[in-house]
Amino acid sequence: MSMRSPLGQARGSGSTDHGVQHWLAERFGAIALVPLGLWFVYSMLGLIGADYNAYQEWQSQPGNLILTILFLLALFHHAHMGLTVVLEDYVQPEWLKNTSVLVLKYTAFFLCTACILSALRVTFTA
Amino acid sequence: MVKFALPAGSNPVKGKLHKNETGATNIRNFHIYRYDPDTGGSPQIDTFEVDLDICGPMVLDALIMIKDKMDSTLTFRRSCREGVCGSCSFNVDGTNTLACTKPIAEIKGDVKIYPLPHLPVIKDLVCDLSHPYAQYSAIEPWLKADTPPPERERLQSEEDRAKLDGLWECILCFCCQTSCMSYWWSGDRFYGSAVLLQADRWVQDSRDEAKGERLTELNDSYKLFRCHTIMNCTASCPKGLNPAKAIGHLKNQVARRE
Ligand code: SF4
Ligand code: SF4
Ligand code: FES
Repeated sequence: MSMRSPLGQARGSGSTDHGVQHWLAERFGAIALVPLGLWFVYSMLGLIGADYNAYQEWQSQPGNLILTILFLLALFHHAHMGLTVVLEDYVQPEWLKNTSVLVLKYTAFFLCTACILSALRVTFTA
Repeated sequence: MVKFALPAGSNPVKGKLHKNETGATNIRNFHIYRYDPDTGGSPQIDTFEVDLDICGPMVLDALIMIKDKMDSTLTFRRSCREGVCGSCSFNVDGTNTLACTKPIAEIKGDVKIYPLPHLPVIKDLVCDLSHPYAQYSAIEPWLKADTPPPERERLQSEEDRAKLDGLWECILCFCCQTSCMSYWWSGDRFYGSAVLLQADRWVQDSRDEAKGERLTELNDSYKLFRCHTIMNCTASCPKGLNPAKAIGHLKNQVARRE
């Protein structure tokens, strides 16, 4: 029960003046993922049935390595942003919302780093 | 977590059947949400057998007839009965709309009338609009200009005036606002479609000199950017307006400053 006026409640703590960055990053990320995703799927289809050496050779081409890293960055960044919004929408208790958003952030960062390091390792242990 | 189930005691239960004993032949059942704060308890769905032969064509006509002839305790807001005041917004047949402009003939089978979704109910079909009204005040819906007023009115070109079409017609019925899931989940901080459409009305007004201040105020991941373009708002507006487009315009205006 709060005796705060409705206007006070509606104004709340005011505006953070950053909401548009998240929105733009989501959109630019989505645009980047279209060509990168298509390229990645196309490349993986080409590697169906190939052995590890063939994969290693593919992964060691500088162009493929760079594109793989960009794809991973865009993918995890985008998934992280999208899932954050879902948590913000659907998890109501403030502490649980903040904890789950943080856990998600670190998980995405961990998985993304792990994937990129793997790609680098495959490339440089040839 | 989001509460998908209603809190205990707010699930509507079957209520009274108000039979029509006049020997009428053209009967339609109206199922109407009832809640009385004085007696408390669960809300009820009462059924009224309405004689369409002596009732006007719109859903509001039926409500008025019920109040007049069948149960004078039925409580609802209405005023203009021609779609200009925005009082008679309810959830009719599963969609938010104005009862006074919704023809009964457009509804197949029984007619269900509930209050607007996800607002506290004061009594029957009357819900508490304090919060959306306060959100409307928060966007400061008036002309702000530092240039001293000229001798006569502040001028606006015809093209600039045309930009307000599709915005000024909003009657603040909140049909759109309360049809939006984002508003259901985050309405405490998200301004909602009606309020944002009004914000756009002032951002677009060529005579207003506070555009920057207004956009700064809106650039927030809840106030404006909690809109996920679900488009329920546009689908429900009984005045045929497009709040989703106005919100898109606001987002672009904020993005353009980056
Ligand atoms: S576009 Fe969707 S999310 Fe945005 S205000 Fe309308 S209904 Fe709500
Ligand atoms: S935009 Fe339409 S539905 Fe929303 S408040 Fe205005 S008139 Fe009502
Ligand atoms: S009574 Fe005024 S809009 Fe319906």
